[in-house]
Amino acid sequence: MSDMHLALHGLAIKKHASPKDIAEIVGMDAERVASLLAEAESRGRVARAGGKFVLTAPAQVALRSEYSRVYAEQRSSAAMNAAYDDFEKVNVWLKQLITDWQTMDVGGEKLPNDHSNKEGDEKIIDRLGDLHERSEPILKRMAASLPRLGIYLQMLTAALERAEDGAIEWVSDVRIASYHTVWFEMHEDLLRALGRERVE
Amino acid sequence: MGSNRHRWVISLDGSVLPDRSLIGGKAWSIARMMSLGLPVPPAFVVTTEACKAFLADGAFSTELEAEISDGIAGLEKLTGRSFGKGDRPLLVSVRSGAPVSMPGMMDTILNLGITADTERALVVECGDPAFARDVHRRFFDLFAHIVLKAGVENFSKEGNAESWNRQVAVATGSPLPCTAPERLLAAVRAVFDSWNSRRAKRYREHHSIPHDLGTAVTVQAMVFGNLDDRSGTGVLFSRNPSTGDRKPFGEYLARAQGEDIVSGKFTPDTLDTMKTSVPAAYEALMASSAMLERENGDVQDIEFTVQKGELFLLQSRSAKRAPAAAIRIAIDMAREGAISEETALDRITPEQVRLILAPRLADGQSDNAKVIACGEGACPGVGRGIVVTSSDEAEARASTGEAVILARPTTSPDDVHGMLAAKAIITEAGGSTSHAAVVSRALGLPCVVGCGSGSLEFLSGRIVTVDGALGRIFEGALDVVTPDETSDERLTVLTRWAKARSRLIVHLPSEAPSEDLIDLNTVEGGEDLKRLPGLIRGYRGARGGAIASDEGIRAALQEKLEFVVGEPVLPLLIAAIRSQTKKAAGEMLAAETASS
Repeated sequence: MSDMHLALHGLAIKKHASPKDIAEIVGMDAERVASLLAEAESRGRVARAGGKFVLTAPAQVALRSEYSRVYAEQRSSAAMNAAYDDFEKVNVWLKQLITDWQTMDVGGEKLPNDHSNKEGDEKIIDRLGDLHERSEPILKRMAASLPRLGIYLQMLTAALERAEDGAIEWVSDVRIASYHTVWFEMHEDLLRALGRERVE
Repeated sequence: MGSNRHRWVISLDGSVLPDRSLIGGKAWSIARMMSLGLPVPPAFVVTTEACKAFLADGAFSTELEAEISDGIAGLEKLTGRSFGKGDRPLLVSVRSGAPVSMPGMMDTILNLGITADTERALVVECGDPAFARDVHRRFFDLFAHIVLKAGVENFSKEGNAESWNRQVAVATGSPLPCTAPERLLAAVRAVFDSWNSRRAKRYREHHSIPHDLGTAVTVQAMVFGNLDDRSGTGVLFSRNPSTGDRKPFGEYLARAQGEDIVSGKFTPDTLDTMKTSVPAAYEALMASSAMLERENGDVQDIEFTVQKGELFLLQSRSAKRAPAAAIRIAIDMAREGAISEETALDRITPEQVRLILAPRLADGQSDNAKVIACGEGACPGVGRGIVVTSSDEAEARASTGEAVILARPTTSPDDVHGMLAAKAIITEAGGSTSHAAVVSRALGLPCVVGCGSGSLEFLSGRIVTVDGALGRIFEGALDVVTPDETSDERLTVLTRWAKARSRLIVHLPSEAPSEDLIDLNTVEGGEDLKRLPGLIRGYRGARGGAIASDEGIRAALQEKLEFVVGEPVLPLLIAAIRSQTKKAAGEMLAAETASS
């Protein structure tokens, strides 16, 4: 897999991102990513908006067409596919958990969680810890086939621990590398790499 | 059973209230309910001392095993049932209970005591083979998942103990322990082990809780709400949690177990049906509700079961409540003398007041408006604008100041930039856990999901109003009103109470002094919370920028400002009181530490 492919893949996951953001999830040096993106820009594959980049439409198509070759090994690995199937099951729980985090049940009525119930919040973060511990072996099985996925596990652990320490925005805030943000990006990464479709 | 003879196990009967550090929070609240004379299923507790001994030795002592067995004998006597055998089986729940509640502790195991034999006995007793099978399946599910830490497993409803046990053996290398007593010991051991789980250890370190407190284990007899027509289960709130109305509010389902209500498979009845079918239990419930609210000084959420006409309380805790109810209840309870005005204010968050004052459709606006699409409301709030169907377009048009509504078949991470730019999100497919629902709630954006395949395309380019609470999309731009805090009677009362307690004065913009203050809208960095303290230092007051936020208020107090200007006033006053109480508590702790 070329560094250029990986940098553009990282950008495709982040959508609209700085070289530093991309470097973090693909495990490359930020300066290397910056120089690759500069090169890609000169070839019309990415466009710059402020300090951030986006993929151009033709580059999106080109990137998609490369996946089956780049990830041929993972796509044909029975172990990887079995681990991914288990991941999909945990993913359903995670989605339910994030929904429970964002809503509160008041006398049978669903209202947005105003985080006034600290005990309730802590319970859900505890559940997230449980889910994390149950996902860990699955992520490690996937990382055995695609080592860079280990980065997500580190980021998930970091977000979880921040939330456990009381900074609750690390559960699902979409503007930071919260547990949900990282999980979602990892899922997007896996869907692209393995050529699977998202189930809503 | 004379609990004094025992070293590790205490049976709970309400005659004494054992020390919380010895029996843990859950057993303590059971013992307390018993001592108030409330009907609670019998229970015993394996103490934190037993946990400490186990963690030191890494094994159960024969003494502890014998005492647990005595504890079970006590429950058998009180219930007239037998554990793991006989015609009338005793099933128990097993719960962890540390003196301080903490994460990472073992979840509750239910239905322990069910075996192939007792499943047959239960069929005879309740006359419902499917229920008995489900009790058994649920036990397998909990035990495999929690005690044996088996991975993702689903035990099929069509299976039986034998087939489920094979599944467990494949997943974990061995089947479940055979007998009920063996399973009980395994569950107790799993609770003890959870004391040293990663999460529990981390939590103790972070909160400076000693590692040697240990956790207790509560073993409680289970009661059944489906034995006959005079059995049932329900939930009671001591006041209405949606409106705050001072009247018990609840649901009851005859011939059912607790999970039937939660599952949503059955529609529960009102409490009136309970009044007719089991009047004595109903009266006992009303009396218990009043007593628990009085004793705990807050609205209670009570889970209960009626077994053959007899009421049992399973759990009582402070009820979650809607923002409007929170405000009404706090004021009512302070006026009744049940709580102080300080406590009333302490029970309301700035966020709850803001939610009440959020913009909404003007009265009568939706009556004649044409509904052009509807789905499931995923995030409440009202958004108006022109419908666009691509996220790039949403972003581009919003950047020119246009109000846009983003309509998509579904959303994915590709759409987040468009969602950030939109006033509301609507989707054709997906439910309350879909990406659109999750992200819009995180952003506080009105959102309606699942409007139906192909239902939104034709809206492109039209002006609509989205009501995320009702789940409706109206044609045209309807009138939206922002409630005024000064014309709401209850908010006025709270504002008066809060003003008397806040060290910081909060002025409405129309009443603000014009001198000695800094307008943060006119200086660079006024929106930046980190720079706020430096910018406001030395002034008497501040307005604009980020000052009218909870963090801004914290900075204003820290820099000893006299006043800030903002609207609405009440959330800011509450934020100020919360911040000053927190600070006072911190100082007290520091003073104590320094003096000791």
